[in-house]
Amino acid sequence: MRPHSLRSLSALFLIVFLVATILTGVGTLLVTQRTITRLVDQRIAGENMEVSGSDHPADPARVRALITLFSQRRDKGDVGFLLTGPKGHFIAGNVRLARVPPPGYSTLSAADHIPGLTHGRAFTRDIGNGMILTTLAETEPIQNYNSARVRIYVLGFGSIILIVFGGIVLFGTLISRRIREMRQTVDAIIDGNMRQRVPVDGSRSEFDQQARAFNRMLDRIAALMDGIANVSNDIAHDLRTPLGRLRGQLARLRREADTPAMREGLDQAIAQSDALLEMFAAILRIAEIEGGDRRAAFAALDLGALATEIGEMMAPVAEAEEHRLEIGPCPAIPVHGDRRLLSQAIINLIENGVRHTPPGSTIRVRAARSGDEAMLIVEDDGPGIPAERRADALRRFGRLDKARNRSGHGLGLSLVEAIARLHRGRLALEDAGPGLRAVLAVRAD
Amino acid sequence: MDVLLVEDDAILAKDLAAELRECGHQAQIVGDGRLALQALVDRKFDAVILDRMLPELDGLSVLNRMRAEGMTLPVIMLTALGKSADKVEGLEQGADDYVVKPVDAAELNARLMAVSRGRQWNMPENDTISAGDITVSPLRHRAWYKGAPVVLPKVEFQLLAELVRNADRVLTRAMLYERVWDYDFEPKSNIADMYIRRLRLKLMEAGCDDPIVTVRGIGYMLRA
Repeated sequence: MRPHSLRSLSALFLIVFLVATILTGVGTLLVTQRTITRLVDQRIAGENMEVSGSDHPADPARVRALITLFSQRRDKGDVGFLLTGPKGHFIAGNVRLARVPPPGYSTLSAADHIPGLTHGRAFTRDIGNGMILTTLAETEPIQNYNSARVRIYVLGFGSIILIVFGGIVLFGTLISRRIREMRQTVDAIIDGNMRQRVPVDGSRSEFDQQARAFNRMLDRIAALMDGIANVSNDIAHDLRTPLGRLRGQLARLRREADTPAMREGLDQAIAQSDALLEMFAAILRIAEIEGGDRRAAFAALDLGALATEIGEMMAPVAEAEEHRLEIGPCPAIPVHGDRRLLSQAIINLIENGVRHTPPGSTIRVRAARSGDEAMLIVEDDGPGIPAERRADALRRFGRLDKARNRSGHGLGLSLVEAIARLHRGRLALEDAGPGLRAVLAVRAD
Repeated sequence: MDVLLVEDDAILAKDLAAELRECGHQAQIVGDGRLALQALVDRKFDAVILDRMLPELDGLSVLNRMRAEGMTLPVIMLTALGKSADKVEGLEQGADDYVVKPVDAAELNARLMAVSRGRQWNMPENDTISAGDITVSPLRHRAWYKGAPVVLPKVEFQLLAELVRNADRVLTRAMLYERVWDYDFEPKSNIADMYIRRLRLKLMEAGCDDPIVTVRGIGYMLRA
């Protein structure tokens, strides 16, 4: 498994670093000890040779004289000399040993009861004429040198580990904070707040520069989006003004019209301009909702009560179109939202149900809660929409019954979807078996 | 009515002035905010139609200065954007009503008439209000015809109260949706017409000769 998160990467790095540091410490300790042992071995072997001389067997008188001489010399005072007979009895020397070490190199410890020696090495050699010469020296020049060295290592490497650990935590926190800031900005932008930017601290650091680059990118996107929004707003406005004037003139003509045919024709013309004006109003309404400004006016409300209220209000309207409007269970579900927009969404969904089902159909409005989702459900027993065409129904201007030339500008569901998104929710079209089920889900409080 | 029309779009202003004249008003056009304040000092008007976006001094600032100087005449704001935030802002600054462009002359006329007869907030809400033989008590949610109680469902009652409050003045559908339903949109289906019909039936059941006049293509009016 490869570590992906900053935390697991830091932990892995720290473990590897810790192991490497401990190995280095232990290795250094061992190599140092071995080196000291080797150097001491060379020294005592050299002294041994020097005392015994190159003759073999050695001359006892010379050996004794040299031991006495060397024992007094400043530069050899740290070497112990012991000359014993074949049975191990003391002949000469400046130390005494409980036992004579075997020939060759051997290790001495505190068990050998040499005053002032806890760790040492000895070299024992038969130099002839029944003499055995042992030279010895300490491998630990200072008392408890090894434990002191371990302490130094623990302190030294320990502080290094602490510094690195602190550094990693600091580094990780810094990176996490930057990433969090960026993610908060991205979330805000997904929510429709295009003005949000990543904080910059002016330090010109890599993070700062990245934040600046990110913000420049957002500025550019915002400018492009503004451009598009302005174009569509301008088009809607610029078309709406002359269209409004046209409608005014038609209305004036209608008042003066004196034949029924003329009146009928003008009524139709007025109805058509009204339909166009309505479409522009819907485009501008969607633009307003997508701008996200209305979120500032969100208030606590009960979605179940709202569904009941609007269901009851719309029942006579559906009845006039020979549809039945039933109000299903509407439990109280607290949500945070814009009452007017949610009302418009519910009315739109009911109108949609009435418009797209034959007379005699039943439309049912209900509310339900699922986890932290508050759902407003409008379902009918009409023909429904085939699964593969439901996405088309949600597309802007996506009308499914073009051939039948029904009224409607194809923006009704887009508007409901925009309202759902403003409430951080969604609009889903499902199969009600038979019929269509529209689910407007928003976040419940 | 003598109306000051503050609008920088010359063509729109000319058209609107002509239409207001057709409705029986007089309209003086000014093209920016400073001139508007000057005109208000120079002469007395019955109402102001004030565009929100103006050169020199924008509509909201003009409104602010007017109210600060104690001018209480009714103001209807015009806006290109139908954003509810703009609307709330305008009303908070002391506008009496708000109309989104493109302006329909009949709609504007209805709103001018509605704001012209003084402001409703002078009237204590616990009092009953009457129009002809119909009396309503908005606070108690009760209505009477010739002293006999008329039982009305909630929506029908609110509709009647609004009609009585504006007796003899036309209420457009947009005005009804705003004031009775508290909607900032006009539903596609004819909800307002449907409830007017239901109210009519209820009133006629109570023995009232249909007091609601349908103003073709514009809205409804209650005869006092």
